Amino acid sequence: MADTLLEGRDLVKHYPVTKGLLQRTIGWVRAIDGVSFTVERGKTLSLVGESGAGKTTTAKAVLLQEKLTSGSIFFEGQDITKWPQSKLKTDYRPRVQAVQQNPWSSMNPRMRVRDIVAEPLVVNTKQTKQQNRNRVLELLDQVGIAAEGADRYPHEFSGGQRQRIAVARALALNPSLVVLDEPVSALDVSIRAQIMNLLKDLQAKYNLSYMVIAHNLATVRYMSHTVAIMYLGQIVEYGDTEELFNNPLHPYTKALISASMLVLPEDEDRQIKQIILTGEMPSPLNPPLGCRFHTRCSEAQDICSQDIPEKHAVGQQHWVKCHHFD
Amino acid sequence: MSNNIILQVEDLHTAFFTRKAVIRAVDGVSFFVREGETLGIVGESGCGKTVTGLSLMRLLPEPSGRIIGGKIIFDGRNLVELDKQQMRAYRGKMISMILQDPMTSLNPVYTIGDQISESVKLHQGLPDDMVEKEVISALRLLKIPAPEQRLNDYPFQLSGGMRQRVVGAIAMSCHPRLLIADEPTTALDATIQAQYIALFKDIQQKTNVGIIFITHDFGVVANMCQRVAVMYAGKIVETAPTSVIFKAPRHPYTAALINSVPRLDRSKDDRLDSIEGQPPSMANLPPGCRFAPRCTVVQDICRKQEPPEVKVGDEHSVSCWRVN
Repeated sequence: MADTLLEGRDLVKHYPVTKGLLQRTIGWVRAIDGVSFTVERGKTLSLVGESGAGKTTTAKAVLLQEKLTSGSIFFEGQDITKWPQSKLKTDYRPRVQAVQQNPWSSMNPRMRVRDIVAEPLVVNTKQTKQQNRNRVLELLDQVGIAAEGADRYPHEFSGGQRQRIAVARALALNPSLVVLDEPVSALDVSIRAQIMNLLKDLQAKYNLSYMVIAHNLATVRYMSHTVAIMYLGQIVEYGDTEELFNNPLHPYTKALISASMLVLPEDEDRQIKQIILTGEMPSPLNPPLGCRFHTRCSEAQDICSQDIPEKHAVGQQHWVKCHHFD
Repeated sequence: MSNNIILQVEDLHTAFFTRKAVIRAVDGVSFFVREGETLGIVGESGCGKTVTGLSLMRLLPEPSGRIIGGKIIFDGRNLVELDKQQMRAYRGKMISMILQDPMTSLNPVYTIGDQISESVKLHQGLPDDMVEKEVISALRLLKIPAPEQRLNDYPFQLSGGMRQRVVGAIAMSCHPRLLIADEPTTALDATIQAQYIALFKDIQQKTNVGIIFITHDFGVVANMCQRVAVMYAGKIVETAPTSVIFKAPRHPYTAALINSVPRLDRSKDDRLDSIEGQPPSMANLPPGCRFAPRCTVVQDICRKQEPPEVKVGDEHSVSCWRVN
């Protein structure tokens, strides 16, 4: 039986667009529009999509950085959207930590690494300074930063090392879930592998759950157990990673996979056909009627611009929202 | 693709003179580009890719950055010897460049029409009505929808992908023979990146422009380039045709770079090979082979002497002691 750690049910976040002196609301940006997912204990869920798909808004909702318009988040079976702030502060926030995309802006340049990593401990625990000090060294060791590094400043480290420090900070409170927002996309290709391997090792060691936000499918495939493909505020396909990569059903998923495939020059003559989407993602201010992808879909028919596609379950934990997915 | 070589770089050295040290960012680089061909220059940040591109354009931040040796032969002339005035006739006209981030390479207070016409006016000396035609044809070449209406738009009114197309239109507006594209797709989303690459292949077929594609992503190289030069710490360590380099990379750095890219066509349980450590500081290079401190197959000689460049196949050469 799968052990669910976190579940998002029908998450909706609409941002008002205001105009004029009186800040009249003239429209809504539908950043996420009915997003549901589950994160299992010790497993990784990836949210994939282009900018504007709603990945980051979903992550912010989970991190309680944004107040949802509607929908609920269940953490270990309890609806945390009903919890008071005080309970969230002690029982939820410390257990859900984040690693940001850009290791150059996610750390205070005037703090020493020691203090950066210790900050969650200082805020959330009543440990003595000596205890914090020992814990910081232990954490740095876990992520492969030498103890001498503790007294240095962030600018003295390379991007990959900084991302390691960010991971150490996220692990300080022994969280159950770590939200990783594009954890490797700001790094050099050769360093990405180091960080991805580290994250996988830590996951195995501490039974951590990850929620990864990414736009690079190859990275996602390497990191995750479950994948949710997002388009314009909605999940269009959701499933077990291997299943989804071997048998992608939504035209958007197929296009994304094709865009990240390595096509060698000699493959071009063979059957490997690259799908290149035309156009760009429409504005979430005024999403297309029917299926939101129909404006860029090569297989679109009349029905696609009229009816919103239902969720079709195909096999275990694999579903797709498309009118003609086969 | 013809056999007509339009750019030949020979033993190029570019250095930055700072108060503390002389940093040899490009240290003896040689390569060539043919008409209608794309050469990829691949490497990690700080390996000298961008400085190589800027050297070709003679856009180094002088006086601290200077070309201190070597030749850049373009169209029969050595660009290194040209004075500023003469260079201006080449830059933007015969050789143009696309930078990584379209947010910063466009001027936010001018319309895109103004920005594209700037180089058209400067280099082609056309009357105003002809300038507009040229600008529109540049926008058409980059497949920007409704070009007549886009002329009066400001950069903020366009999406990231469209902005990068505008930057491409500026670069292509004077029909250059060589285009240097410095990570043009890194800031774009995956599907838009695929569009952009397909677009440039198409433009290359139409105009026969030679392209130098600077990137850190081997995936982009596979899709776009005929030949690749792999750079490490200011030197080219391996050059080869793309199809050869993926099948049989000879330099350990090339092999490691290719293996560190997660690939969709591999099982997910393979552990990624990572390259341990980081590139050396350019102010403090190790003796011998510059990759030796991170190399998994390092020998004694690697730490003492720099490896010579060895030809190992058709247009395939490597600098590694293992190859001898």
